[in-house]
Amino acid sequence: MESLYGYFGKQLRVSLNNKEIVKENINASILRKYLGGAGYAVKVLYDEIPKGIDPLSSGNKLMFATSPLTANHIPGGGSIMLCFKSPLTNAWGESRCGGNFGPDLKKAGYDFLIIEGKSKEPVYLIINDDSIEFRSAMRLIGKSVSEKLRIIREELSEPKISVMCIGPAGEKLVKIATVMFEHRAAGRCGVGAVMGSKNLLGIAVKGSHKTPIAQPEKLTEVAKICLKILRDNDFAVNLKKHGTTGDMAANDAAGDWPTKNWHSNSWGKAEQLYDQFFNKYLVKNHGCYTGCPIACGRISEVKEGRFKTPLHEGSEYESLSAFTAFVFNENIEVAIYATHLCNEFGIDTISAGAIIAFAMECYENGILKKRDVGSIDLSWGNPEALPELVRKISLREGIGDMLAEGVKIASERLGRGSEKYAIHGKGLEAPAHDPRSGKVLGITYGTANRGMCHIHPLEGMAYDSGKVDWGLMKYGVPDPNTVDRWDEKGKGKIVKILQDALILPDILNTCKFFMYCGIYIDHLAEFLSAVTGWNIDGQELLKVGERVINLQRLFNVREGFRRDDDLLPKRMKQKPAFGFYENEDRCVIKDYGGMLNEYYQARGWDAKTGIPTKEKLLELELHEK
Amino acid sequence: MKIKVKLYTILEKYAKGKVLKNNTIILHKDTTLHGLSHCLKIPDNIGIVFLVNASPQDKEYKLREGDEVKIFSFIGGG
Repeated sequence: MESLYGYFGKQLRVSLNNKEIVKENINASILRKYLGGAGYAVKVLYDEIPKGIDPLSSGNKLMFATSPLTANHIPGGGSIMLCFKSPLTNAWGESRCGGNFGPDLKKAGYDFLIIEGKSKEPVYLIINDDSIEFRSAMRLIGKSVSEKLRIIREELSEPKISVMCIGPAGEKLVKIATVMFEHRAAGRCGVGAVMGSKNLLGIAVKGSHKTPIAQPEKLTEVAKICLKILRDNDFAVNLKKHGTTGDMAANDAAGDWPTKNWHSNSWGKAEQLYDQFFNKYLVKNHGCYTGCPIACGRISEVKEGRFKTPLHEGSEYESLSAFTAFVFNENIEVAIYATHLCNEFGIDTISAGAIIAFAMECYENGILKKRDVGSIDLSWGNPEALPELVRKISLREGIGDMLAEGVKIASERLGRGSEKYAIHGKGLEAPAHDPRSGKVLGITYGTANRGMCHIHPLEGMAYDSGKVDWGLMKYGVPDPNTVDRWDEKGKGKIVKILQDALILPDILNTCKFFMYCGIYIDHLAEFLSAVTGWNIDGQELLKVGERVINLQRLFNVREGFRRDDDLLPKRMKQKPAFGFYENEDRCVIKDYGGMLNEYYQARGWDAKTGIPTKEKLLELELHEK
Repeated sequence: MKIKVKLYTILEKYAKGKVLKNNTIILHKDTTLHGLSHCLKIPDNIGIVFLVNASPQDKEYKLREGDEVKIFSFIGGG
């Protein structure tokens, strides 16, 4: 048998029903087709999760996926990908997080971890090379994320072991619950609720193995080249200095900052808010995994006052935008505090901000009254309302119980016209980028398999406004400097290639921001070739990306998703009501259907249904699906 | 003519040696935003957005005495 490099060739299957643990050999013949991360995971979960199951039932599976590039010494290699059926969308769910957990799972000798079934009692799992152990999690019940992390470390007497856990929100099956890796979140699609539904409250992992590398010298050489690119790159320098938050003012100016539950695409307040954050509350930068050469994470603190926080990690672009622009709040201290609370309760900051904005609009229009919301004043921008609603949603208290279902289900339950205030795609609350700043984003938002997220569709904004090409012009993407961000024609074709390429960090578990800093798919192909010994190039990687997008699409098609589920909320296509682009016609998305047709044609999907054609599936070797 | 100009994040470095300490720059009459960006030696392939007196303007916009210009680009990140 041919030697396998870059993988241990093992996946750990943990069945919680009967506490059975099986170390399975991986079918090596499928690895080159799906590689790892969200690629290998969709292959497994498409085959193993039956159609129509309740995502919070024991039939759902939660997969932790690494890749051949999951390693601290590979630039951007410190990530873990979690894949599952989402309780928020009933569609394909994935959520990634940077940190040492992924590399440590790999060091323990496992490429993938599959959690299935449901434990009778709350437990946490300890993985230490070949030793796999369950512990009672009774002491962890109801505890905040910080407390859980501390208790697990104390119980294990292992101060340096990688630990992840859910917060109280995950235990209560809040559908926007996160899984927290230390103080960073795998935030989207309700993965924390899936873990909570299995009575699995945490996992600790350490290992002592080294991944077999086919060509170590070539790997060192490619790493050196990439580190030099990063050292010389303006984006990398500024990600370190400003983090993702540094784009707040630029996005506001570009009309890429959805404000007041999407009434507008800008506000004019971001510069002032970011200046306050940068000058007064930002303490330092921080790398999510040991050895990150960029270290874009933010450590911040509100030292005094009613929104005082400890020194903590958080306050990224999406979180601060969600708790300022989304809810029309000008108080940066409460935005930092609310973000910190979300991370302690274990809920997604993006969805939380979007849900509160939805509730505020319902309140403004009399759909929710003061008596419905526990006497909280839900007027736009009221800072006092933010932490209170974060707490209620996290603990499913009062109005929080309905809001914990996400805006789609909450609006369906509320009725009375509230559906038009629920801004989401496939049930996932929209993040802080606005397709009224550039039309590529409209298609990436509408067609993203996990719903309207901030990871996959981001390439739309970066291409149209940022003029970033990610080295993809050689693969057919037009020079972004020749493309007008306001145009609609041609955007569908562009999106196809952008998506096929920009999903690769999710398949290879590399940091997507490194692609913004000059580490392109050709570099990823070189890394992969050095690690695995395969002679793989950018074109082959694009084909893997396309295959994975199509299989995720088939996962959703099997659940009943069609063309109508790729549509955008009406408000997202209309003239902004105020701000820098007030009433401007160029922001309007006039022919979304036409853009979608163009995209489907480029994808080889049926224009009426949005289902991949047989010819396309044959081309991608997915015809058996 | 004198205008005020402020550059942000990845563009800050282009102010050095060209923009005075009070954010002022002296330009020929009728200089456009595109001309200002050339004067600052901002590369053409970087996506940028201009605000002039708090309104978004295209690069063909002709500057006037006393205009306050903000120039943004994008670090990237969600």
